[in-house]
Amino acid sequence: MTKTGLKTLGLAGVEELYQNKGQRAKELAQEGRKVIGYFCCYVPLELFTALDIVPYRIHGGTTEPITEADAYLETIMCPFIRSAFDLALKNRYDFLDGLVIPHTCDTVERLYDIWTYYREPVYSHFINVPHMLHASSFEFFKKELETYRKSLEDFAGKKVSDEALTEAVKLHNENRALVRELYSFGKPDPPLAFRSEILKTMIVGLGLPVEDFNDLLRSVIQEIKDRNEGPEKKAARVLIYGSVVDEVGFVQLVEESGANVVMDDLSTGSRAFWEDVEVTPDPLDGISNRYLDKIHCPRTYRPQGETPEQDLENRFGHIYRFVKDFNANAVVLYVIRFCDTYELDAPDFIDYMDSKDVPVLYLEDEYSATTLGQLKTRVQAFLEMFD
Amino acid sequence: MADKKTEKTTATKTTQTVRKVRAIVRDLYQNAREAKEKGQPTAYTMTACQYDDILAAMDIVPVWTENYAGLSAAKRDAERFIVKAEADGYSNVICGYVRVGIGFDALRKEVGGIPENSPDGGMVMPDMMLGCGAACDPRFKWYQALGRYMQVPTFSFDVVWPRVDTDLDEVRDYYVKYQMEQYRGLVEFIEAHTEKKFDPERLWEVIRISDATWYKWWEIDQLRKAVPSPMPTEDHYNAMVPAFYCSGTQMALDFYNDLYEEVKERADSKVGVIPDEKYRLLFGGGLPPWHTMWIFNYFESLGAVFVMENAYRLFDPVEVPSHIKDPLEYMAYRSFLRWTLRYDKAAERSKSATVERLLEYIDDYKIDGVVTHATKSCRATTVGQIDWLRRLNDYASIPTMQLISDIVDVRDYSEAQWKAQIEAFVEVVGAHKN
Ligand code: SF4
Ligand code: SF4
Repeated sequence: MTKTGLKTLGLAGVEELYQNKGQRAKELAQEGRKVIGYFCCYVPLELFTALDIVPYRIHGGTTEPITEADAYLETIMCPFIRSAFDLALKNRYDFLDGLVIPHTCDTVERLYDIWTYYREPVYSHFINVPHMLHASSFEFFKKELETYRKSLEDFAGKKVSDEALTEAVKLHNENRALVRELYSFGKPDPPLAFRSEILKTMIVGLGLPVEDFNDLLRSVIQEIKDRNEGPEKKAARVLIYGSVVDEVGFVQLVEESGANVVMDDLSTGSRAFWEDVEVTPDPLDGISNRYLDKIHCPRTYRPQGETPEQDLENRFGHIYRFVKDFNANAVVLYVIRFCDTYELDAPDFIDYMDSKDVPVLYLEDEYSATTLGQLKTRVQAFLEMFD
Repeated sequence: MADKKTEKTTATKTTQTVRKVRAIVRDLYQNAREAKEKGQPTAYTMTACQYDDILAAMDIVPVWTENYAGLSAAKRDAERFIVKAEADGYSNVICGYVRVGIGFDALRKEVGGIPENSPDGGMVMPDMMLGCGAACDPRFKWYQALGRYMQVPTFSFDVVWPRVDTDLDEVRDYYVKYQMEQYRGLVEFIEAHTEKKFDPERLWEVIRISDATWYKWWEIDQLRKAVPSPMPTEDHYNAMVPAFYCSGTQMALDFYNDLYEEVKERADSKVGVIPDEKYRLLFGGGLPPWHTMWIFNYFESLGAVFVMENAYRLFDPVEVPSHIKDPLEYMAYRSFLRWTLRYDKAAERSKSATVERLLEYIDDYKIDGVVTHATKSCRATTVGQIDWLRRLNDYASIPTMQLISDIVDVRDYSEAQWKAQIEAFVEVVGAHKN
């Protein structure tokens, strides 16, 4: 595995990478590394790492108006996906050697055919991720990952041994431990770091090889520990729950509206990193089990509970545990419009949190910087209860 | 709503046989209510999950919730359900069918029974709900969401198929195996929640009937290649009912036998849908506009007939290897073959099985123009349409148009605007043809 080489570390490094998204991946590509773009948190990153491939989590851009994608994608679908594809059409993703798309939701699934047809990446692969969690689903998913492993090996022109894969699992578990450490700064009152700092670190980390990301995390953690300033104490301690937040504007807005955001459950935040992969004799066992079962996302169907209460617990209990562990007292549910799985969960989620006396602000957003003003009004109104 | 109900939404039908369908649909909900009274198990079900044969073989009476929503829309009595679902916090961009369904059950809970004057008497309270992951995510999220209104045992399962660029030989075995396991899980669930016992022989019988039914239906569509068109798309949207909602029954098979005879006779004697068929159109995708089905007659008034469609058309005949002796494995294999049909062709050309199907129809049915219907809330059948139409134009030179409305929510649909768009399109088709 290649040694890391970020020029600037710590929060300054984060800021630099954030302002120049993709810069590091492009540099690595120029050095001859292969870079593969992927969506969502269901693509096992360990395989990239074991094959010395740089993973790059594809993002959209809320400040960039969608101008090209309209000619390819309907307007009634997830604007995040439209935005990401718009960037691809504007050649912003030309530095990618390939594309891996997991079957997370309908929209991402469909995007695979469209992206591969019009952008013709050198390498592309689709991973069918079951929606169900039956015993046979795990068997199937492992088979899908075996197919994926072969295809990626063909692309890389080398095999990945079980030992190398196990090493990658350990390295990524280290990464996850560092993420959890960074997130633990949300626990004290006041928290030791702004969520915008934490999320920014995550967002840039999603575009780095794991070794770089680990270095960055260590440096950020140390810097935060060493510094004296940080957020002030505030009555509202918010957890943000939702799908993709790949820019910090929205989180900043919540912080500026008078809350401390102490935890997130976002696919660009804690969700992608929270749970370790178990080290198993066949590494794909641990990997398939972790990616299918331990990522909690509404796209996965949790078998019906014995009682309605149990059912809600199965689906949302992990968020309430976050609320308790991080001592949050409110939740902002941030949903990107046209995202069926979240929208169909929303009323149940609100009911569930209500039963725990945790107020929820449900926001459906357009994934566009132009709507931040409207969101701000709603967030401020919501936070008034803490005045 | 009362005045709205009198509005005509249906199309004038061409064939006599499809006129029987209205009664079949009405019976669907009536039969389910009667079955429940007699103690027979009923289930909320979704189309395209490909479990119909199992349900028929185990005497589970299906209640097709999407169909019910479409029916409410066709009767212009969907609004009260939509309004209720939205009042309960469901986003107004969620699938219109889902909002109707959730709204119906939310109202049922509120009033303590089937809401008054529900279309076709309303959906019975089911004994179970069976969702699946085929085609769209709401298909399993919908029933999960209904947990807040009713405590009904719910089972969901995956329906999987690979992408076009997959090496089918590499994945076939485990895809088929998984599908079979999914069906087995369904059977076990039904056995656990009813007195019914699974009988493989019975399932084989049902499979034989349903295969024959779908095959006969496919043969009818072959007849529709005739010029002039013997049966238009508006008839298809009725004709699909027995195969989609009563598969595996003798009644369904008989229906297609009758329809076949009628369409054959029309084709043989060259009786068209309209006296002067100028243009032949293909309904390229999306759900039909249930709220405005007479729009097809409007096209006809301009000399354009929809002779074929790519909607409510899932399964062309496939041949499952004869060594397969387990009916669940047969179903799984059949499902795999159905989904991957045209993959060979797609790999060589458009990279899309849907586009290949459309190109095939354009040739075989002598199509002059393609129209799709983008329905705001059914993303499953809408997302991808622009792409298909673009790709079509990479391989064929043909006018295309996308109509936009919703499947159930007509609050912002404009008839005048559609008519203007249609007139302009038919002119383009005319200019292109000549
Ligand atoms: S935000 Fe929702 S619809 Fe968009 S890609 Fe993510 S899961 Fe899919
Ligand atoms: S989105 Fe479309 S396919 Fe899915 S449940 Fe709704 S109507 Fe059916």
